Amino acid sequence: MTMITPKQENASRIGSVLVVGSGIGGMQAALDLANSGLMVHMVNDEPSIGGTMSRLDKTFPTGDCAMCMISPRMVESSRHPNIEMHTLAKVVGVSGHEGNFTATIEQKARYVDPERCTGCGACEPKCPSKVFNVFNQGLDKRKAIYALFPQAVPNTRAIDPAHCLYLTKNVCRKCEKACEANAINFEDQDKMIDIDVGSIILTPGLKTYQPEIRQEFGYGKLQNVVTALQFERLLSASGPCGGTVARPSDGAHPKKLAWIQCVGSRNAHNGNPWCSSVCCMYAAKQSIIANEHDNEVQSTIYYMELRAFGKDFDKYIEKAKNDAGVIYKRAMIAEIVEDPATRNLLVHSIGDDGRLVKEEFDMVILSIGFEPREDAAEFAKIFGIATDEYGFAQTSKLRPVETSRKGVYVAGTYQGPKDIPETVIQGSGAAAEAMALLGERRGTEVKEVVLPDERDIEDEEPRIGVIVCHCGTNIAGTVDVNKVAEMAAKEPGVTHSETIIYACAPDGQQKIRDLIKEKGLNRVVVASCTPRTHAPLFQDTIREVGLNKFLFELADIREQCSWCHMHENANATHKAIEIVNMNIAKTKRLVPVTCASVGVNHTALVVGGGIAGMTASLSLVDQGYGVHLVEKTNTLGGLLKNVRTNLEGDDVQAFLADVVQKVEKNPAIKVHLGSTVEKVDGYVGNFVTTLANKDTVGHGALLIASGGEEYSPVEYDYAKSDKIITQRELENLLADKGPENGKCYVMIQCVGSREDPNNYCSRICCQDALKNSIAIKEKAPDAQVVVIYRDMRAYGLKEDYYRRARDLGVLFFLYTPDAKPQVEVAEDTIKVTLEGKILGRELAINADYLVLSTGLRPQPDGDEFAKKFKLTCNIDGFLLEAHVKLRPVDFPSEGFFLAGLAHAPKNLEETISQSLAAAGRAGALLSHSSLTVSGVISKHNRDICMSCLACVKKCPFGAPFIDEDGRVSHNEVKCTGCGICAGVCPAKAYQVNYFRDDQILAMIDSVTEVHEY
Amino acid sequence: MAIDAEKIEQPKSPEKVRDVPADWKANIIAFACHYCAFAAADLAGVMRLSYPSNVKVVRLPCTGKLDQIYLLRAFERGVDGVFAAG
Repeated sequence: MTMITPKQENASRIGSVLVVGSGIGGMQAALDLANSGLMVHMVNDEPSIGGTMSRLDKTFPTGDCAMCMISPRMVESSRHPNIEMHTLAKVVGVSGHEGNFTATIEQKARYVDPERCTGCGACEPKCPSKVFNVFNQGLDKRKAIYALFPQAVPNTRAIDPAHCLYLTKNVCRKCEKACEANAINFEDQDKMIDIDVGSIILTPGLKTYQPEIRQEFGYGKLQNVVTALQFERLLSASGPCGGTVARPSDGAHPKKLAWIQCVGSRNAHNGNPWCSSVCCMYAAKQSIIANEHDNEVQSTIYYMELRAFGKDFDKYIEKAKNDAGVIYKRAMIAEIVEDPATRNLLVHSIGDDGRLVKEEFDMVILSIGFEPREDAAEFAKIFGIATDEYGFAQTSKLRPVETSRKGVYVAGTYQGPKDIPETVIQGSGAAAEAMALLGERRGTEVKEVVLPDERDIEDEEPRIGVIVCHCGTNIAGTVDVNKVAEMAAKEPGVTHSETIIYACAPDGQQKIRDLIKEKGLNRVVVASCTPRTHAPLFQDTIREVGLNKFLFELADIREQCSWCHMHENANATHKAIEIVNMNIAKTKRLVPVTCASVGVNHTALVVGGGIAGMTASLSLVDQGYGVHLVEKTNTLGGLLKNVRTNLEGDDVQAFLADVVQKVEKNPAIKVHLGSTVEKVDGYVGNFVTTLANKDTVGHGALLIASGGEEYSPVEYDYAKSDKIITQRELENLLADKGPENGKCYVMIQCVGSREDPNNYCSRICCQDALKNSIAIKEKAPDAQVVVIYRDMRAYGLKEDYYRRARDLGVLFFLYTPDAKPQVEVAEDTIKVTLEGKILGRELAINADYLVLSTGLRPQPDGDEFAKKFKLTCNIDGFLLEAHVKLRPVDFPSEGFFLAGLAHAPKNLEETISQSLAAAGRAGALLSHSSLTVSGVISKHNRDICMSCLACVKKCPFGAPFIDEDGRVSHNEVKCTGCGICAGVCPAKAYQVNYFRDDQILAMIDSVTEVHEY
Repeated sequence: MAIDAEKIEQPKSPEKVRDVPADWKANIIAFACHYCAFAAADLAGVMRLSYPSNVKVVRLPCTGKLDQIYLLRAFERGVDGVFAAG
């Protein structure tokens, strides 16, 4: 893929970026930057990339496996030619300025040569030194030579010098003897290196609260009290007990579990004052998963406030309650006492009636919160950035990923507590900022690979080379590899067959290249490990000597044979022969596949002229692309026109006016006011969109920021009195007239939200209520403010404002949806009555103003709108992203991106982050001069197609279409190669490259052959 | 309407049901999606979980690619079971 030609001005800026931290946020930033043609140096201090997410079992609210999601990202990061990983490394100094920094990196000795280490793990069992396993949260032990976790990237071991017997006591060296790849290097030294970069992105991640300080919970003393992260490892199939939860004291399967929320969070005395944002949801997730593992598990969650504020989060809580039978109890825990006989735990709390309740559990899980890392203060000093009073990187809410130092950006939990999708969003958002800074230097620091022409093999008979890998003893210890190679040599089409100690090591790769040349091979089968991680490596190897990448197949005889049939050598050898032979049968029928490429129109179409659409448009033009901005009304600004300030007190109108002016003045943005999209044709890189006025616009990407609307209430007699107003109306009243001492303002939360038919949290209403409450009490301390709420969702650092409101004397009264406050409009007051939960009797308040916290709604024409773009909405009418966790601003259709309220309710800061992210993702796409289409796609044969439309109906990506001649054609650019079309086509007019029917059938025939071995 | 079970004739196979030999093992082909089930099979190996060795995995780009002819061919060729996972 080539990049668009960079302009040569600002040549002093360096076209590379330093990403510090390699969790999911860092990887997202790195991949986006690398895909846009910038060189990325990714630094992290652990021996593997992956961060906190790699330690999780599943993720909310979909229950997806965390490792299955993050693992492909890790492999992609490690294989990307524009990403250089520096593991076991930390930045110790930064000099220079925006566009031109020099970072000094301290690279710790690994004592294992990553070039030689194949990740086979033969060294580990030999190592006598057992060490507390940090990855598994101390639940088990690892060795001094270790991989952080089984799927670690880079897949090489490291020696922990503090625990290695040779490095500490000069004895042992057993790993060295066990390593057949000669990868152990005890002479390795720490190194210092300097790297020049144009920009820096900080994603160092988090530390979890250490709960020992809360002595009443007994953590560290009571064995069956664990942290939520420990429980995550206990649930994990790759954790210390293989996913069958065993409690630490006796290994028994616990049946009665309790979670204690807010451990170390929302507590300024012996914890952190902020809300950690994710614990309510992960507790729900863990209780659901525990119940899925064993449906006799009974879970209780002790909580203060249920903060399920994200997209589809409330529904997930409902699922926990209704499907997994989780009991939610609103109570703070006084003490946990262990029964010395059973080691069960008695949890002491105060019940609704005010009496002490003791309940017995098999295990208690502490929902510990996030805090900045221990080295956060030093970290901020090294990078020269300001932090807030808690040690989080300081950013403006209007520029959420910019630090106080120009050219240095931040993403993820270092900017404040947040969940995975918000971290991913900020990762892409920070990348967008760096792309805008360095856009003109794209392609200047990356290496271009020059490959020889592909050899034409069309007229050649198959000449297959089979390489059977020993993988040290990983395969050869169980499978008779020589016999496998011998049997392979007898198969038709095989020219050469041999074994090799490590096929993936550099000398193994060279051997393959030499064999192709010497023996004139035109197809290669390597029998070693899984194609998921290693096929790209071997494909590149054969391509380097002129063979098409698709003339290769990897026979998995390690993960799917030797490792799962250990100690069954004869059976494993038999199976390995079958696996290799069926791959030979397929390979014989392989043909070269060409990957088509299409040009890219370097313009984006942005739908929606609110703050989301405008922020994205400005970012895109800063990155160097053209923008068409389509807004259905006659003014820019969207819903933000109605907002005066945010919770943190920024002047929103001044900010908005500035943004509108920048958009209007920018010659690269063409604004189409009073216009809508009528239809979109084309495909990624080359869309043609027709607007309502029949104008057509060509563009390479499409960004949807169509917004939502504010709910206008019908509840609580809103229409009956002008003293009953919404939060937005109160905000205007306070700004225009100010609050009045002596008056009583009563607010009711969740009006029209969190209830059928709009059973979702609108996320912004609690913040609005706090903002207005504080504004009243600061100016008119003698005014009475009462907030009647269900759960105050002051998540993250917004907890500060909840505390401030309470300190100012704002009263908070709880209500439940089955006992809503009653409103009676009288002559000059509004009487509000509710059940007083603490008093145990009815409460009546005479309000001068009743303020309704009304939420957000999707656009009323959502379904019709979505259909126009072939997108889908969730049950609430918000547009559905490609993946809730890892692709929060992408749509499943390539080239389509999403930001703002159209995705889900969110506040201004979150909208800006998401808009930058969408612009960054779109920008990375638009940076290419052409896009290469995957080779594994479906090929359509029009000659035998009957145009029955089975494929058109079934294809999830809209690739087959009815052409101008009325017959079916297939757009290969949209095709993902899933093969559904091939499955449903009655005429067999579709064949998927590399998975053709004759190739699969040959595998079936081979593996059903009766052999005597 | 009540159904009189005795009146319904059980379909008869032309082949007699044979005794299963003691050392018999089912021969099974698994069709696995590259992105999920194949990855799961890999993870089983990484975790050293064991399962009978007479299960062979054929990788597909997606279980959407699983054509009925593959299933029929597998049975025609004498496999005892097919496992489709994705």
